[in-house]
Formats: sequence, C-alpha cells, structure tokens
Amino acid sequence: MDFAASLSLVAPEILLSTAGLVLLLVAAWAGDGASRAISIASVAVLAACAFMVAPALCSGAMGPDTVAFSGQFRADAFASFAKLLIYAAGGAALIVAPAFFERVHAMRAEYPVLILFAVLGMGLMVSASDLLTLYIGLELNSLAAYVLAAFLRDDERSAEAGLKYFVLGALASGILLFGMSLTYGFTGTTSFEGIRAALSGTISMGALFGAIFMLAGLSFKIAAVPFHMWTPDVYEGAPTPVTTFFATAPKVAAVALSMRVTLDAFGGQVAAWQQIVIFAALASVIVGALGAIGQTNIKRLLAYSSINNVGFILIGLAAATPQGASAMLVYLAIYIAMSVGGFVAVLMLKDADGAPVEGIAEIAGLSRHRKVLAACLAMVMFSLAGIPPLFGFWGKFVVFQAAVQAGLVPLAAIGIAASVIGAFYYLKVVKVMYFDEPANVAVGKSDWAHQALLAIAALFISPLGYLLTRWLGALADKAAAALFLAA
Amino acid sequence: MIGIEHYVVVSSILFVLGVLGIFLNRKNVIVILMAIELILLAVNINLVAFSAFLNDLTGQIFAMFVLTVAAGEAAIGLAILVIYFRDRGSIAVDDVNRMKG
Amino acid sequence: MNAIQIIVFGPLLAAIVAGLGNRMLGSVAAKTITTAGLFLSCVLSWPIFLGFLGGSAEASVTPVLHWVQSGSLTFDWALRVDALTAVMLVVITSVSALVHLYSWGYMDEDPDQPRFFAYLSLFTFAMLMLVTADNLVQMFFGWEGVGLASYLLIGFWFRKPSACAAAIKAFVVNRVGDLGFMLGIFGTYLVFQTTSIPEILAAAPGMAGSTIGFLGYRLDTMTVLCILLFIGAMGKSAQLGLHTWLPDAMEGPTPVSALIHAATMVTAGVFMVCRLSPMFETSPTALALVTFIGAATCFFAATVGTCQWDIKRVIAYSTCSQLGYMFFAAGVGAYGAAMFHLFTHAFFKALLFLGAGSVIHAMHHEQDMRFYGDLRKRIPLTFWAMMAGTLAITGVGILDVFGFAGFYSKDAILEAAYARGTELSQFAFVLGCIAALMTSFYSWRLMFLTFWGKPRWAGSEHIQHAMHDAHVHDDHDHGHGHGHEVDGTAGYHPHESPLSMLVPLAILSLGAVFAGFVFHDGFINSEQFWNGAIAYNEHLIHAMHAVPLWVKLSATVVMLTGFGIAYAAYIRDTTIPSRFVATFPQLHGFAFNKWYFDELYNFLFVRPAFWLGRQFWQRGDVGFIDRFGPNGAAWVVAQGSSYAKKVQSGYLYSYALVMLLGLVAAVSWALAAG
Repeated sequence: MDFAASLSLVAPEILLSTAGLVLLLVAAWAGDGASRAISIASVAVLAACAFMVAPALCSGAMGPDTVAFSGQFRADAFASFAKLLIYAAGGAALIVAPAFFERVHAMRAEYPVLILFAVLGMGLMVSASDLLTLYIGLELNSLAAYVLAAFLRDDERSAEAGLKYFVLGALASGILLFGMSLTYGFTGTTSFEGIRAALSGTISMGALFGAIFMLAGLSFKIAAVPFHMWTPDVYEGAPTPVTTFFATAPKVAAVALSMRVTLDAFGGQVAAWQQIVIFAALASVIVGALGAIGQTNIKRLLAYSSINNVGFILIGLAAATPQGASAMLVYLAIYIAMSVGGFVAVLMLKDADGAPVEGIAEIAGLSRHRKVLAACLAMVMFSLAGIPPLFGFWGKFVVFQAAVQAGLVPLAAIGIAASVIGAFYYLKVVKVMYFDEPANVAVGKSDWAHQALLAIAALFISPLGYLLTRWLGALADKAAAALFLAA
Repeated sequence: MIGIEHYVVVSSILFVLGVLGIFLNRKNVIVILMAIELILLAVNINLVAFSAFLNDLTGQIFAMFVLTVAAGEAAIGLAILVIYFRDRGSIAVDDVNRMKG
Repeated sequence: MNAIQIIVFGPLLAAIVAGLGNRMLGSVAAKTITTAGLFLSCVLSWPIFLGFLGGSAEASVTPVLHWVQSGSLTFDWALRVDALTAVMLVVITSVSALVHLYSWGYMDEDPDQPRFFAYLSLFTFAMLMLVTADNLVQMFFGWEGVGLASYLLIGFWFRKPSACAAAIKAFVVNRVGDLGFMLGIFGTYLVFQTTSIPEILAAAPGMAGSTIGFLGYRLDTMTVLCILLFIGAMGKSAQLGLHTWLPDAMEGPTPVSALIHAATMVTAGVFMVCRLSPMFETSPTALALVTFIGAATCFFAATVGTCQWDIKRVIAYSTCSQLGYMFFAAGVGAYGAAMFHLFTHAFFKALLFLGAGSVIHAMHHEQDMRFYGDLRKRIPLTFWAMMAGTLAITGVGILDVFGFAGFYSKDAILEAAYARGTELSQFAFVLGCIAALMTSFYSWRLMFLTFWGKPRWAGSEHIQHAMHDAHVHDDHDHGHGHGHEVDGTAGYHPHESPLSMLVPLAILSLGAVFAGFVFHDGFINSEQFWNGAIAYNEHLIHAMHAVPLWVKLSATVVMLTGFGIAYAAYIRDTTIPSRFVATFPQLHGFAFNKWYFDELYNFLFVRPAFWLGRQFWQRGDVGFIDRFGPNGAAWVVAQGSSYAKKVQSGYLYSYALVMLLGLVAAVSWALAAG
C-alpha cells in the first residue's frame, strides 16, 4: 500500500488534527469572544468528517484495502460505525456547551478545540490495529479529557473531578501500558494481526498477564466494574456538557477498542478473557443498579446508569460472536441517544436564575410546570430501564438475543433479572417528577439548542425508533463483519 | 549473565512500587504524580529490554512515544493540581473527597 | 336480520350504549334506550311463542358465527329457537321489559341509573344467550354471564357492606355449582365428542348403561354426567345445599330480585334440566336425585319462609320453594309441568316482588313486616296487585272452572308426582302438599301482616328517619307528631307508587290471574307444542288425568287450611304466633335460623377456608414468599446499595485499591483457570 492511499484513508483524522491546530491558533489570537464561532466551525468539521467516513460504513468496507501505514491503522466499516457515533456525540457536546458555560462566563475558546482533539484521539482508538496507534489515540483522548473534566477552573467539584480522573486515568494507562509491554515481549510484535498469529496455540503466562492487564486498562476507559470508581465522581463534578461528552463518545471509543483488542488481537484466546468479561458485565449491571438507588444527584445517577449500561454492552462482548458485536453496536447507538437525551434534559433543568439544578428532590413535581421536559426525561428513564415500547428495549433485546444464541443463557437470565433492579431507580425519577409535591425549583427557561437536541434524541428513542431497526441492524452487521474479517 | 528475566523482574518491582505509591500514600498528590512516572518507567524498561531481547526496534520506538506522552501527562497533571490547589488551598490526598457515595 | 337476532342482541346493544355512555348520556337517555330495547325484544318474542303454541312454528337454528375450532373441538355460535326457548323468551323479555319500566319509578332517586339499566340489559342478553344456546359451551357462556350480571346487580349498592358480602356470597356459591356444570360439560364432550346439544341428546340413549371412570370408580356414564350437570343447576337455581346465596341476594334492588332472583336466572337450572331432559331420562338415579333435592328444597324453603320477618326474604324463600316444585316435577318426568310452573311462577313471583318493592317504596325502604300493617286502604292498587299474586301462588281455583296461575301449574306437578307412582315420587307428593300448605300460610301471613291490622310503623327506624327529615324541612308540623304516634303511624303517610311502577304491576297481575287458565292445555297436554324440545312422557300424562279426585283436590284443601291457620293467627288472635313460639322454641328457632345452614357452612367450609387462607397468606405468602422473595430481594438490594455507597468513599486511594483488587482477582483467576 502506498503512502498516498494511506493518507487518503486517514483523511478524517488529518482534517480533524489540522482543524484542531488551526482553531487553536484562532482561539489564541481571537480570544474567548470567538468561542461560539469556533464551536460552530468545529461542528462543521465533525460533520465533514462524518461525511468522509460514512461511505466506508455504507459500502461495508473491509479487508486489506482499509489498512493504512503498514497495519497501524484500519479504516473499515467497523471503525466508521464507531466514528459516526463519536462524531455525533462530540457534536452534541459542542452544541450544548455555549449556553451552559456562558452563564458563568467560562465559555473559553479551548473547549471546542479540546473536544476536537479528544474526538481525534478516539478516532485513532477505534481505527487502531497496532498497540502503538492504540496508545497514542488513547492518550490523546485522555489528556484532552482530563482538561475537560477540570474545565470550570473556579469550581471545586470540577477541579476535583479533573484530579481524580487524571490520577486514576494515569494509573489505568500505566496498567494498560504494562500489559502492552508484556504482550509485546511475549509475542514479539505490536500489531493486532501479529499478536493474533503469535497466540494461535496455548497462551504463554506472560502474554496472559499482558492480555489481562490490557483488559483492565481498557475496562477503566469503558467504566466497567471494578474499574468504574472514578465514574460517579467525575460525571458529577465535570461541567454537564463535558459529562454529556464523557458519557457518550469515549464509551463508544473504548468499547470499540476493547472489541478490537479482544476479538481481533486476542480473538484466538477467547477462553482466556471470556469469563473475565462475563464477570465484569454482571458486576457492572449489578453495581451500576445498586449504586444508583441511593443517589440524590441526577448526574451521579446517570453515571451509575452508564455503568449499568456498559454491563449490558459487555454481555454482547462476552458472546464473542458477530451477532454479539453487532448487538453491541446497536446498543451503543441507542445508548448514545438515551445518554445525550438524559444529559441534555439535565442541562435544561435550571432554577429561576438559570443556575443548574441537579438534585433529584428539586425536580419533584416537574411535570406540573415543565410538561414537555418532564415527559422527555421520563421517556429517557423508561428507555434506559428497557421498557418495551421505547427504543432502549431493543438494545437490551438484541444483546440478550446474541448472548442466548452464543449459549450464554445463564448470563442473559441474570442480566435480565438484574435489569429489574435498574428499573427501580429509573422509575423513581419518574415518580418524583410526576407524583411528588412540586418543589418549583427547576423553573428556568431552556436554550433552543438544547430543546432541539432533546427533541431529536427523544424522537430517536421513542417507539418511532423501531422504524430504524432494520437499517441500524444492517449497518451494525456490516461493521461487525468487517471486525471479524480483520480478525 | 543478566537475562531478560532480570529486566522483567526489575520492571515489575518498579510497577508495583508505583501502584503502591498511589494508594498507600495519603499525604500529597505530588507523590502520586511521581508514582505514575515510576509506572511509566517500569513500562519503558520492559519495552527497551524486550526490544533488545527480540532484536526488534518497535519496542524502543514505543518507549520514545511513552516518554513523550509521559511528559505531556505530567504537564497536564500539574496544571490540574494547580487549579485544584487554587480552589481548595490544599493538595492533601485525604482532602480530595468532596464527592462520594 | 332475523327477529331472534334482534331479540338477543338488542339488549346487548342497549347495555353497551347505556353502560359506556353512562354519565355522558344521562340517565333519561340510558333508561329510554334500554327500556325501548327490551320492549322491542318482548314484542318480537310473543309472536314466536304464540307460533309454537298454535303449532305453526318449526324449531330453527340461526347461526351467528364460527366460534371455536381447535382439534376435534368445534362449535359455532348459533341461536336455537324451539318451543322450550320460546317459553323462556317470552318469560325473560316480558318480565325484563316490565322490570325495566318499573325501575324508572323505583330507582328514580338513584344517582347511578345508567349503570343499573345497563346491567339489567346485560343480564337480559346473557339470559337470552343461555336459553338460545345450541351447544353446551354457549350455554355456559350465558350461564356465567347471568352469574356476572347477578353479582353486579346484587352488589349494585356497593357502598353497603352487606350488599358486597351478598354479591360475593352469590358468586362463590354459584362457582361451586359452576364447577359441577363445567365438569359435566367436559365429561359430556369426553363421552360424546361434541358439545352440540341436539347431537348429544340424539346420542344419549345409546350411552345408557355404559360406564366411565370417575374419581377412581367405574360409574354409570349418564348418571355421572347428569349429576354433575345437575349440581350446576342446583347452584344457579338455589336448591337445597347451594341455596344459601338466594336469601342474601335480596340485598340488591327489588327490581333485580324480581327479574333475576325470581323470574329468570334462578330458573336457568330448571331450563337446563328440561333442555337436557332426554339425557336425564337415561339415568333413573340422576332423576331420583333431582326429585329428592327438589322435594326437599320445596319443603325446607317453605318452613323457613313461614317465620321470616323481612318481606323480601319471605318471597325469596318462597321462590326457593317453588323452584323445588319445578325440579321434582322434572325429576318425575313431567318436564312440561315443570316448564309450566316456571312460566306461571315467573309472572306471579315477579308480581309479588314488584308489589313488595312498591310496599317498600311506600314505607320508605322499611322491609320488616313487623312495622307494616293496615296498608290495604293506603296503597290500594299495590294491595290488589299483591292480592292477585297471592291468589296465584297459593293456587286458588275451582277444578274445571277457573283458577289463578299457580292453581294449574302446581296441581299439575302434584298430580304428576302422584301419578308417577314410585316411592320417591309419593314422598315428593307428600312433601309438596305440606309445602303447599305452608306456601298458603306464609303468603297469607305476608298479606295479613302487611295490609291488615293496625299500623305499626312508629317502631321503624326508616320511618322515623323519614319523619325526622320531614320535620327538619317542615317545622310547624311538629305539633301534630304526638297525636299520630298513638295510632302507630308516627305521622307517616304511605304514598302509592308512581305510574311507571303500577303499570308493570297491572300487567303482571293479568298474567298471574290468567296465565294458568290460558296456557294450561298447551303446556301440559300438548305433545305437539313441545314437539321434541323436551322429553315427553305420554304415559305419565295419561296417568296424571287418571289420578283420584282426592289427589286433585288435595292442593286446594291444603291451601284453604293454610289460609285458615294464617287467618286465625294473624287476624283473629294475634297472640297465637308468640304463644306458638313460646311453646316450641326449638322448632321455631330451627326454622327461623334457616335450619342453621349458614352456621353449618360457616363451620364446615368458611372457617376452614379462612384458616387455610390465613395459613397460606401469613405463613406461605408473607412468611415465606414475601420474606425471601420480593421483600428479601428488596432488602438485599437496599443493603447492596448502601454498601456500594460506602465503598464509593470519595478517596483516591480506595478507588485505586479497588482497581488493583480487580486486577489481582482477574490475574488470579486466569492463573487458576489456565
């Protein structure tokens, strides 16, 4: 493969990095006054990137033609699927930000640039087919994310969130790196293809250690139990637009990356990691549900909810089949919509002065004075709980279906039972909004951008979403096929 | 003769020391930053040792990348620490628990 | 569209409109729609009946839809019309139409009238479904439908605890019977491989003498099936053993009692036995049981009826007793006589109930006869209607000249019982005569207590309430109050009921007076009328005509005796009853307490059932399932949640520790597994 072809395959990443650098310069000269303009430009860049990756997904691109830079990078349908979701989530994080930050005069021009770099890093993650690319992408994303978490510099909670995220993230990176070094040492290569070839027989002790350390490091990124501890604190402390971003794009990237690592690099050694994934899946579902029950802060509740959802996604990974992978992608797409909907709804909860409202007790009786908002939030909650007429049910359904088809009936059964616990706290929010005495706190007006975004998300997770199932399923199948062909 | 095992053992000890440094230390966040550097150092020893052992340059290139990223990570870590200190007036690890539950 | 379809589905349509329209529609519209629907059904029903009577009509089956097709089980929904159905059609639609009309007046002040009328029409539809059934499943549908409507109507005043209890009691006791009916239907399908009634009846004689395994025994097939079906009939028709719900059902509004618990639903059992009469004819054992239960009920209910004070309960026990007559008529093979008594009884019993309702209406919802008296001149129209009903039920008449309705039908039953000639039928005849005496006694007792004597209203709480309310509104009247209390009226003036209540009374009076005289020949003597709709025993009819004269007169004699006793005890010397009670306290107590059936059932079934239920509830459900199930799970979740919160301490080092523990656990597991 010649260099030009490689360059054309990484065109979206080149565009993103160039745009990021240029906009950084613009931000440096124009100052914070240009932040809105830079945000708009960033959204445009993301849209352009989306158009660039979409064809690969629609055509189901796979095989040698999608490999760039001697196996460092892979721009196949799977990567495209993940990138589209990442770009969408990044776009949402950009759109919701100005209204939030401008109130506290914290809308800095770095924000969109950081988002762009994080998105770039995630694009590298999902396209990685070599440990080196993986590491670079992961760190590019993480470094941007640490800064984003601490973005509200004058806010104690934001700073604490940044600090915690940074320390634990660095630890996780260390564990991941150590695993990669062991894997490199015991397989003699850093490319996924080479690792897979080297591990075709019985796995050596060192490589097993490497695999487990890598899985642990990746688990931190997707916030799977027991590497989830940072999630509630960071989600609560980070500014809500940033939380929106954290809950969506990095999840997609980390899950997609984990799929590549487990199903591609370690795809020949399913037995070595399957049990660990099953454990992490169940532990995430259960701990996410249990942790959410006692929460009084809605962002924290949604953080636990995201842990819970990751558990369901991992059930698809445990299946280790193309159906499982396809189900995970479908779930991710629906999860992104639910998460964006949920956090945008939270963003729209403001008191009379426009200050954010995050306490669950403060949204009591919301249905009385903010009917549409309460209805949308209730829909998100019902959907997250997986209650049938809503689209959230479909994600859970396909995942469980894949697990059952892969013979993991007990896992599916326990997962379904545990989802009942989850329903409790989702429905509690609905109960508070609809049946409790009005607290009349969240009465502030919402931004039109928020409203529009919430409307789109709500439409997607409404029963109308089922119109998309065939289309979504077909795309996910293509992406999964590309992943398994590479493997 | 010093073999690959010795390097792996040393790097493992360093790694463990680094990890212990993160959760045994309850005084100062700066120590945590140092512990993180220790972990990355362990990784680098591993990579270079394996690279030499395997006669493969990839490991050494990887080590260069790790060093670079570590520099960036340290910078960002310190920056966040500065912000935190400005808000709270303390960098004691025990104080970093406003959010919990 | 066929007339029969309009007859059957008109009430359903009216019920749906009135029921769903409810408040939106308003009570006048709901009442108009349902009543009009019923009168239409009624008008269409009579020509069908007269057609069969005149011998011009043929039995027909009108298909409605294919209902169920499952394996070898197939049946359609079809409306069967033959002589038997035609009789029921006129009874149901006529009484129902009149009751609808009557309810305009009776329920005038009730706020829930649309609901009431919707239920009434729904009941009528279900009843029509039952009597037009062409297969057992459709009959069961109607059977359960009337049960439901009965439940809803008994509990119509659902804010009254006693009404709710009565509704539940009626439902539960009927379920016992229904279980028998269901088993009977299942068994019949098992044996005959069809649920179609004509096919079953055609095949029944061939099955006589075969045996079937039931509860581990080999038993005669037809006996088992017939007894099971008869248990269903016992429940619905309140026969001895399963009768306890009927008196309590009087908690419902009086028009309901007249329609459901006198004229129609309670006769469904009799109808079913007659409909399946060729089946019953194949099993002498089953017929003997029917005869025995019928006669026993007839006697039992009459004894209880003699000492009740509640006017509606007297009539309720009277109904129970009359149903006993019908059953033993069927048991001895006189199905025509049974249907005839059903027919006449529907008129005079509905009349008595509606008359009682009119009395209750006049007396401000007082139902205790001890607080009546001297109403003859105050509500004369009601009095004359009740008089017609009493003459009919006691069977007043002169042989071969003229008699009131009950005269013909009851005499026919007694004659048939005598003419059958078996020991059991003789026993039934004797019990029937004694019951006839008591019927006469309690009917006249009711009349004398209510319409003769001195006013005794002052003691009634209902009347006092009425007067108190009136005084609040009308203070200056207070001065006259004391003067009235001397004559026992407490100043209360009973008022005659409105026209809408009197017209049904008048029409039913005509029925009570003439129904026997006019239709006697058709029902009893004419095989051509029944035309195969019921088993017809030519021999028995001849024997009935040949009974000795004393048998024919016996009914009249006992009727006069009963009248005499009642006259002596309640007009001549009103101390006789109390002296009788003082002399035979056990006997009176036994009858007054309804032979202690409720107490017995309470002891045998209700309390053990409660005990068992409490065990299941307290130990099984609360103690085990709840404790280890939902509550246990909730407890575990709550504990887990608080533990999860505790682990989430907020400290960096504990977070790192958890991560490291996870890593170590994963590595250990991999080492152990690998």
